[in-house]
Amino acid sequence: MNLFFQQIINGLTLGSIYGLVALGLTLVYGILHIPNFAHGALYMVGAFMSYFLMMDLGVHYWVAMAGSAAIVAILAVLCERLVFHPLRNSPPIHDKIAAIGILLFLEALVQMFWGADFRRLSSPFTGILNFDGLIIPEQRLLIIVGAFVLVAALQLFLRKTMIGATIIAMAQSRDGAFLVGIDANRVAMMTFAISGVLAAIAATLYAPINLVYPAMGHLVIMKAFVIIILGGMGSIPGAIAGGMIIGFAEAFGGFYISTAYKDIIAFGLLVVILSVRPQGLFAKGAH
Amino acid sequence: MLQLKNVDVCYGSFKALNNISMTVDTGELVVLLGANGAGKSSLFNAISGLNKPSAGDVEFEDRRLNGLKPNAIVSGGVVQCAEGRKLFPHMSVLQNLMLGAYVHRRDRAGNKQRLNEVLELFPILEDKAQQPAGSLSGGQQQMVAIGRAMMSRPRLLMLDEPSLGLAPLVVKQMFEIIKQINSLGTTVLLAEQNAFAALKIADRAYVMENGQLVMEGDQETMLGNEQVRRAYIGA
Repeated sequence: MNLFFQQIINGLTLGSIYGLVALGLTLVYGILHIPNFAHGALYMVGAFMSYFLMMDLGVHYWVAMAGSAAIVAILAVLCERLVFHPLRNSPPIHDKIAAIGILLFLEALVQMFWGADFRRLSSPFTGILNFDGLIIPEQRLLIIVGAFVLVAALQLFLRKTMIGATIIAMAQSRDGAFLVGIDANRVAMMTFAISGVLAAIAATLYAPINLVYPAMGHLVIMKAFVIIILGGMGSIPGAIAGGMIIGFAEAFGGFYISTAYKDIIAFGLLVVILSVRPQGLFAKGAH
Repeated sequence: MLQLKNVDVCYGSFKALNNISMTVDTGELVVLLGANGAGKSSLFNAISGLNKPSAGDVEFEDRRLNGLKPNAIVSGGVVQCAEGRKLFPHMSVLQNLMLGAYVHRRDRAGNKQRLNEVLELFPILEDKAQQPAGSLSGGQQQMVAIGRAMMSRPRLLMLDEPSLGLAPLVVKQMFEIIKQINSLGTTVLLAEQNAFAALKIADRAYVMENGQLVMEGDQETMLGNEQVRRAYIGA
C-alpha cells in the first residue's frame, strides 16, 4: 500500500512540473496561436540561469529562482518582440519554423557557455519527510506545493485583475479585444512573460531531482505538447488535468510496467485519448 | 465631427473602398445603407483602425485617425459595435460590459455610473449579469454588444448591422434603443440592410454600392426616393 502512495507522490511531482510547462505553452497557443516549440528551450535556460546564479554568484535557491524567472521572462518577451511579432501576418508555418530556430539558437548558446555536460543543481531542501512509512523528499513536496500555489496565483491574476481579463478576452475573441481598445502588443508581451516565468520556475523546481544539460528541454516540451493536445489546445484546466494524467501514467506505468517504457506511455495515451475524443478532453476556449 | 476624405481601402489587388468622402456631424444619427459586400464593414474598420486606408484621410474632431492604433481610436471616442457582436462568450455579461470600459479603467467611479446608465438602457441585462455572454439569446447578446460599446463612452458610436439575425419584434426594440442612445447625446453611425426601419430613425443617410457612395440625402428625401425604395425597401 505504501508503494502505491509513493507512486501517487511521484505522479503528483511529475504532473506538477508537466502542468506548469504546459500551462505556459497553452497560454501562448490559446492567445497568440503560436505553437512555441522554443518553450522547452526557455525551460532549459531557466534551469541554467538558476544554476549560474547559485553556483557562480552564490545566491540562495529562492533568489536564484526569482532571478531566473525574471531573466527568462525577459528572454520570452524578446522572442515575441524580435521574432514572433514581425511574423504576425505571415503564414502560420513561419511561426513554427521560427520557434524551432529559437530552440536551436538557445541550445547552442547555452552549450557555448556551459558545454554539453550534465550538471547538478543543489537545493537547500534535501531532507526527507517520513509520514508513518510514507517517504516524501522535501524537494518533491516543494514541487507539488509550489505548482499548486503558482496555478492558484495565475488563476487569481487572470480572473481578478484587469490585465488578466485582457488576456482572457484576447483568447476568447481577438476582434472583440481590439474593439474595446485592448492593446494587442501588451497582451502578447504579458503572455510570453508569464509563460517564461512558469517555465523557469518549473525548471528550477525540478532540476535538483534531475540533471541540468542543454538538451533537457526536449522530452519535456514533447510531453507538454502531448498534454495541451490532450487537454484541448488553449485550455488552462486542460493543461493542468493533462499534466496530471501524463504524470500519473508515467509514475504508475514506470513502477508497475517498466521504467524503460515510461516515456512511451505519454504518447500511447495521446493516441488512445485522441481516438476517443479527437477535440481533446476540454474543448478549446473553455477557460 | 467625423470626416472622411477620398478614402481607399484595398485587400490585395481588390479595392474594397473607392474614394469615399462623407461627414457625420455632432448629434446626428446617420445611416449607411448597402447590400452585403457593399463595403460597410470595411468602411467601419477603416475608421476604427482595423484596416489601413491606402489613400485618403479619416478625421475625427479635427484629429487624423488613420495611422493610429485601434486602442488609441477607442480612447479618442470612436467606438465600433461590430457585425457578429464579437463578445467574449465564456465571460459573464458583467465582465463583458466592464471590459468595454477598458480604456477608462482608472476611473472606477465613472465606470460604475456608466454601468448603471447602460443597465437602465438594457434592464434585462441586470438579471443576466452573471451568466456567460455566449449563453444569451441573439437579441440579448446584441444588447451586451451595444452596452459594451457604450461602456467605452463613445462620442461617435458605430453600429454595424445590429438587427442582423434578430426576430422582427426584437429588431423594432433595437432601433428604439438606438434612437434613444442618440437622443441622449451620442452621435451614431448605423450600417444597415434593414433600410426602412433604419431610415425611420435617421437624420441622414448614405447609400453604398460596390465600395462607393452612390447617394446621399436626409431622411425625407431618402424615404421618398424611388431608387432607394426599389432597391432597399422593396415597395
